[in-house]
Amino acid sequence: MLDLPHAKDADAGELPAAFDLRKEAEAAGITETLGQLDQELIGLKPVKSRVRQIASLLLIERIRQRAGLVSAPPTLHMSFTGNPGTGKTTVALRMAKILHGLGFVRRGQVISVTRDDLVGQYIGHTAPKTKEILKKAMGGVLFIDEAYYLHRPDNERDYGQEAIEILLQVMENQREDLVVILAGYGERMTSFFASNPGFRSRIAHHIEFPDYSEAELLVIAELMLRERGYKFDASAREAFARYIALRRTQPFFSNARSIRNAVDRIRLRQADRLVSDLDRMLDIADLETIDSADVLASRVFSGGLIAGGGPAGSTD
Amino acid sequence: MNAHTGTIRGKERYRSGVMEYKRMGYWEPDYVPKDTDVIALFRVTPQDGVDPIEASAAVAGESSTATWTVVWTDRLTAAEKYRAKCYRVDEVPGSPGQYFAYIAYDLDLFEPGSIANLTASIIGNVFGFKPLKALRLEDMRLPVAYVKTFQGPATGIVVERERLDKFGRPLLGATIKPKLGLSGRNYGRVVYEALKGGLDFTKDDENINSQPFMHWRDRFLYCMEGVNRAQAASGEVKGTYLNVTAATMEDMYERAEFAKELGSCVVMIDLVIGYTAIQSMAKWARRNDIILHLHRAGHSTYTRQKSHGVSFRVIAKWMRLAGVDHIHAGTVVGKLEGDPNTTRGYYDICREDFNPLKLEHGIFFEQSWASLNKLMPVASGGIHAGQMHQLLDLLGEDVVLQFGGGTIGHPMGIQAGATANRVALEAMILARNEGRDYVHEGPEILAKAAQTCTPLKAALDVWKDVTFNYQSTDTPDFVPTALAAV
Amino acid sequence: MKLTQGCFSFLPDLTDDQIYKQVQYCLAKGWAVNIEFTDDPHPRNTYWEMWGLPMFDLQDAAGVMLELKECRRVYGDRYIRISGFDSSHGWESAKISFIVNRPPQETEFELVRHEVAGRAVRYTTVRRPAPPTAP
Repeated sequence: MLDLPHAKDADAGELPAAFDLRKEAEAAGITETLGQLDQELIGLKPVKSRVRQIASLLLIERIRQRAGLVSAPPTLHMSFTGNPGTGKTTVALRMAKILHGLGFVRRGQVISVTRDDLVGQYIGHTAPKTKEILKKAMGGVLFIDEAYYLHRPDNERDYGQEAIEILLQVMENQREDLVVILAGYGERMTSFFASNPGFRSRIAHHIEFPDYSEAELLVIAELMLRERGYKFDASAREAFARYIALRRTQPFFSNARSIRNAVDRIRLRQADRLVSDLDRMLDIADLETIDSADVLASRVFSGGLIAGGGPAGSTD
Repeated sequence: MNAHTGTIRGKERYRSGVMEYKRMGYWEPDYVPKDTDVIALFRVTPQDGVDPIEASAAVAGESSTATWTVVWTDRLTAAEKYRAKCYRVDEVPGSPGQYFAYIAYDLDLFEPGSIANLTASIIGNVFGFKPLKALRLEDMRLPVAYVKTFQGPATGIVVERERLDKFGRPLLGATIKPKLGLSGRNYGRVVYEALKGGLDFTKDDENINSQPFMHWRDRFLYCMEGVNRAQAASGEVKGTYLNVTAATMEDMYERAEFAKELGSCVVMIDLVIGYTAIQSMAKWARRNDIILHLHRAGHSTYTRQKSHGVSFRVIAKWMRLAGVDHIHAGTVVGKLEGDPNTTRGYYDICREDFNPLKLEHGIFFEQSWASLNKLMPVASGGIHAGQMHQLLDLLGEDVVLQFGGGTIGHPMGIQAGATANRVALEAMILARNEGRDYVHEGPEILAKAAQTCTPLKAALDVWKDVTFNYQSTDTPDFVPTALAAV
Repeated sequence: MKLTQGCFSFLPDLTDDQIYKQVQYCLAKGWAVNIEFTDDPHPRNTYWEMWGLPMFDLQDAAGVMLELKECRRVYGDRYIRISGFDSSHGWESAKISFIVNRPPQETEFELVRHEVAGRAVRYTTVRRPAPPTAP
């Protein structure tokens, strides 16, 4: 195993008798990163407090390492479970920053992949593919979305198994070189871990990402509109609240992602509405205001999606 | 100072007699140089009482179309196009009585691809012009259209490294000493010892040609025995710059051909053979896959004094066009003239594809090299292993470091001297790449490397205090000043 | 004979920690890193065998060390070198190259001299046959 140059640097020099916790946290940029996370993500209280706990644990772990109380590198691999659009990727990016700030990973990049990036189509194809990804992720975080697709219980000769074995080996032997985050729907992850105990035993931290509440989704929508230079008028806001309630009950709902798609479609409809009357003069208010008609024209109000319709969110 | 004095135009301009240069069209302060113009910057020191504008206009005139009097035959030509135009004259900061004159020349004044023709104009008659006390060509801007008419370095830094299979560190060389008197057989011994000890190159000195104590064929034969022996003993490509400088082109070709037949990867010429001979040898080198080393013998007669002559940065530009692969460009810390900032300017001219204007390095113009090969600078003269950190910092990685005395004068012998240099270099590169502050920790890094290398230890002990701290004569006229905070 | 090709052949063989740092230097410069091996280190043998493709876009040298370990496992009895390749305009060639593995018995070369016209000699560098091993 390699010496870890950065960890060693941190160990160099004389040990202080006491550690200034605030200074340590600020030096690692934790306070800043957590603040950033608060700003970026609406709601998600349980997730944020879990991230905060993990960050604290890592900070203390780092100080304990320097104090000579622990020597073995900790296991840092994680699993993020929850429905699509609940902020898993965003949290992974911030988590990488925290890990990097504390020196648990050397570079801090996040390489985000799915089964297709790791598993090949024919014999001998999978190992080089998986290794290629692992080499790029060295020094950072490997984020595997919908990790359960690696495992196909119905096909014991599936090449996914080969990727799993390489991953497990690296997760065990090169804990200083990279952190793996496995992500996906809650129940499917549970059964994935049940049939792959190797993964479960190597995961140190689980974070569950709950669905957003309707009120949170409305705030998210308004935030997205503001970023794009639009706003709801009162009737549109009310209409969109109803939209959310309806949309949540329909198939392929994916939280913030569905809201983003809805906002994009609403912008299209607003533009269409404005252009349909070429003889009028537009003022700033016209350009930035979404009215209820823009919202209510959605198919969600007319019975929603046809069963077996397009991919998630595409017909919002 | 840069006011228009009024060029006389039309018929009046060609009335017989003598007329001020500045009224003949050689002083055009409103002129904006074209992208295709050659621009020269002169340092003009007029005789007492001579108007600096008139003196500068005279330089423009005398280096282009003018003669001392008006000639009617001008009217048979597109004279306005062919007149060089002085368009700016500045006082030299801190040097009263000296002026920087910027002069633009139309591209049609020059034969494509000929340094001889370029220099016959720019430094032809004009340097002896009586109304001037002194004149120095400080810098030139060579338009891309003109650069593209030259071959450029026969091999270039990149291909030289590929041929030698040596990357990521300066190359190491040594000039065989004593420079005069060794027999061919003894001379080859020094080549073998130095190369086997770890150098990449050895080198003939500038005045080693074909003398009674050692004729050239003898030298070539023994040197190549040494090169090949060292190559087999190390598994590494080695070379020796065989100096083919001779009285005639025919002699030089004969010597170069013999060097090639013997399998030498490099030959060498001296600057004193002249620009045309240099360009001929550059073409020969390109045709024969041979690296061409240029020793700048004689240059200090006209480059060193600041008031008169030609700056070495201009010589470096001409040599990059002419097509040599190596050029001696100063060491800063060694025994020969070399202000750090001025030297930095020379190195940039050799190695970069684009030189931004940088007055503090003596670079007065932006210069694009239009993908002409890069020219490897050579640092030679009074340098030793103990300065490795400074050399790497000042000169960078693409340079040949020549340790002549620093190899051959080693108390344990030539091989040990070579080994000391190579170990010092490799240890410094290793440390630099690891991100260490090698400039400050240099002595410490060398001392550590010397623990497992006795030759390096001996070298550090012998030369530890050798430095050459003399005032440079050729320094930049501009120093960067911090802008005052408001 | 110690083969002295590459950037660091006059230093004691690099440790893995030292190799890691040199590779990281390459990655920080944005260079592609290549591993090659050979049993024929003749000075004119330009093309050593490639251990896979050059590695582009890595962030951390651990990825290269992974491949080096593999290469050593298979070809530990040969010369292995690492090089850093700079694709920027005007260079587009190697920027560094150094040996990271040597065979237990290093290759020896000798000079074959072929006398030709006059006093001239044509030199050929050839590999010296390994000494016969005792039965």
